Amino acid sequence: MKHQKTYRITFLAMMSILVLCIASQNLFSQNEEKYRVRLRSDYVKIMEGDAYLNIKATAKIEDETLPVPNIEIEVYNEVEGEEIVLGNTTTNMKGESRFVLNKPIDLKADSTHTYNLGISFKGNDSFKKASKSTSFKDAQIVADLITKDSINYITATLKETASDSVLVGESLDVQVQRLFNPLKIGEEFNFTDENGTILVPVEEGIPGVDGNLTIEVVLNDSDLYGTLKDIVIAPVGTPIVDESTFDQRKMWSTRNNTPIFLLIFINAAIIIIWGLFIFLIASLFRISKN
Amino acid sequence: MTKYESLINDLAPRKFGKRGTIWTFILVAIIIIGLIAYIDQINKGQVVTNMRDYALWGIYISNFVFFVATSFVGSATVAVLRLTNNSWRTPLVRIAEIISLAAIVMAGFTIMIDMGRPDRLLYLFIYARLQSPITWDVIIIPTSIVLSFLLLYFPLLPDLAILKKYFTTTKPRFSKWYGKLSLNWTGSKAQKAIQTKSIKIIAIMIIPVGILLQTIDAWLFSTTYRIGWDSTNMGAYFISGAFVAGLGVLITVVYIIRRVRNLDHYITDYHFDKMGQFLALTCLVYLYFNVNEYLIPIFTSAVEEEVHLNTLVFGEYAGLFWFSQIVGLILPIFILLFKKGRRPLPMFIVGFMVVIGSWWKRYIIVTPTLLHPFLPIEGVPESWHHYFPSMHEWLITAATLAMALLMITLFVRFLPVIPIQRIAEEKGLVKTNNNEDS
Repeated sequence: MKHQKTYRITFLAMMSILVLCIASQNLFSQNEEKYRVRLRSDYVKIMEGDAYLNIKATAKIEDETLPVPNIEIEVYNEVEGEEIVLGNTTTNMKGESRFVLNKPIDLKADSTHTYNLGISFKGNDSFKKASKSTSFKDAQIVADLITKDSINYITATLKETASDSVLVGESLDVQVQRLFNPLKIGEEFNFTDENGTILVPVEEGIPGVDGNLTIEVVLNDSDLYGTLKDIVIAPVGTPIVDESTFDQRKMWSTRNNTPIFLLIFINAAIIIIWGLFIFLIASLFRISKN
Repeated sequence: MTKYESLINDLAPRKFGKRGTIWTFILVAIIIIGLIAYIDQINKGQVVTNMRDYALWGIYISNFVFFVATSFVGSATVAVLRLTNNSWRTPLVRIAEIISLAAIVMAGFTIMIDMGRPDRLLYLFIYARLQSPITWDVIIIPTSIVLSFLLLYFPLLPDLAILKKYFTTTKPRFSKWYGKLSLNWTGSKAQKAIQTKSIKIIAIMIIPVGILLQTIDAWLFSTTYRIGWDSTNMGAYFISGAFVAGLGVLITVVYIIRRVRNLDHYITDYHFDKMGQFLALTCLVYLYFNVNEYLIPIFTSAVEEEVHLNTLVFGEYAGLFWFSQIVGLILPIFILLFKKGRRPLPMFIVGFMVVIGSWWKRYIIVTPTLLHPFLPIEGVPESWHHYFPSMHEWLITAATLAMALLMITLFVRFLPVIPIQRIAEEKGLVKTNNNEDS
């Protein structure tokens, strides 16, 4: 009797677990919720250089914004409702990608001379599909180094390409390229005047390799024109004395730059000692022959 | 039986007894277990060791340093005693030469064991950077192996010829081999002249090469900007330590061979007394360098030095530190100061203490320094701040020590451990021929 009671209790307990499992549908099912990808694209144009889209993909996962790596993104040009595919790019481990527009001038603009570029992600097992559009007009910065009364200035003119009109009241950054972050020079805001021009003095004493300063004039993240940058190599800096011993024959140099004294000493030691070994081994043969 | 025949009979190699056979089997078993562990290490990678980003050199390197130090016994006994004209060295030199060769060969193997990719051994030569002390080490170790072999082989030639003759009837196959190895030695004037000249060259070479070997070994550490290693004292410190370790091993091995082979008439109390005096002197010199090594950092007392010294003297490594200092150095000095302490059995105990102390001393030199870098690595697991060898490391290291002992055992089995010809000449049993043996 006692055994039968135990069996009944065990049976009931097992059945209860089974019912609970069936009732709670998600008990062992995988979480199939897909995350929303947030895309961002910024247009950047370097004068006499590349134009490209800086793309970044992020997603909010468990209240934390994380980069989305290794997803393929399609880039296209929207013209009058038509999408002309320009190519594909894949995000890196930081969720970033740079899509170079080889010939931005060949992009097709709409009737207002605005270029519309779109990026789209088709979605995958983990993330929903997403897209983002970027619009910009083509503009140019023409920067130059001039000297007035022994003072060096950077002058730059900002002009819209389509209308060939100068842009007034836009703020341009003037900065010297450094190893980590650029060094800003001039006022905090350098607004273009009625001629679309700024004039910024270059301080003396800024160090540069061989006295050359790489000065950038930047229209930063404009809603209408994106980011534009012109670069001027200005030989107005204080030359840096290069103290690197990288190419010299030092104890800490590469194997191709071994100090001569070491080459001589070690090789001489090897030749003398191993030469004597050869002599000694030859002596063994001589003993054998005698 | 003439005295000369009796001498040969005493000193000629002989078959192992029961104890010798068991000893050899034990060594072979340890080697096989170590070999299995090493194959597993190659398959799985060095993750099977407890070496990590902090302790990137562990027991393998400390064992390597011990082998290198021990190999110095050849230079110490053969060359130094020869130059100082100490004739008591005669019955000991062959054993010293055997230990020297076995130790340096195993030092080379141990380095390979420490390499993550031993199949890339050739890269050490192909891509050698001559500024690196590791490259110097790669050059000096094969050099030392060849020199140690020649140091053993040249003085052996007359003895091999004697053994060829001795075993002609009893063991013809052995006799044939001894004949081949003796290179047709007849003892002719021309052969003796060549041999004498060659031994002179080797005896001169062994000193600078031995010193270079120890110094380069020290520079592996001292050229690295690390607490406890960055010291100009290191070269001399290592040389003096090598004298101690080498002599400790020599005394221990000599005692055992003397017991096993009943060589009391040839290796007498007098020899132990002399070795004891020599060891006491080297221990005192080593103690002096130890004082330098640990006292000066206490004065300069940079924060990192203080942490390192505290770990050694009072901390995690205090037990091993004081063991190596007291048991491996100070206590032997006290025992050796007394004549009774320099008798064979106490000398064997002292030698054994010195050997164990010397082995752990190398461990103390290598490991604690690695755990206290100037620039600590961020975010590493707590366990990486400590190091104790894994089972794989212990088994492999035990196998290397067993291999060294097996090499010594086999040499003792097949070679005369005391130079027969030289002893016969010294005892006036054969005509002296001005043969300058080692």
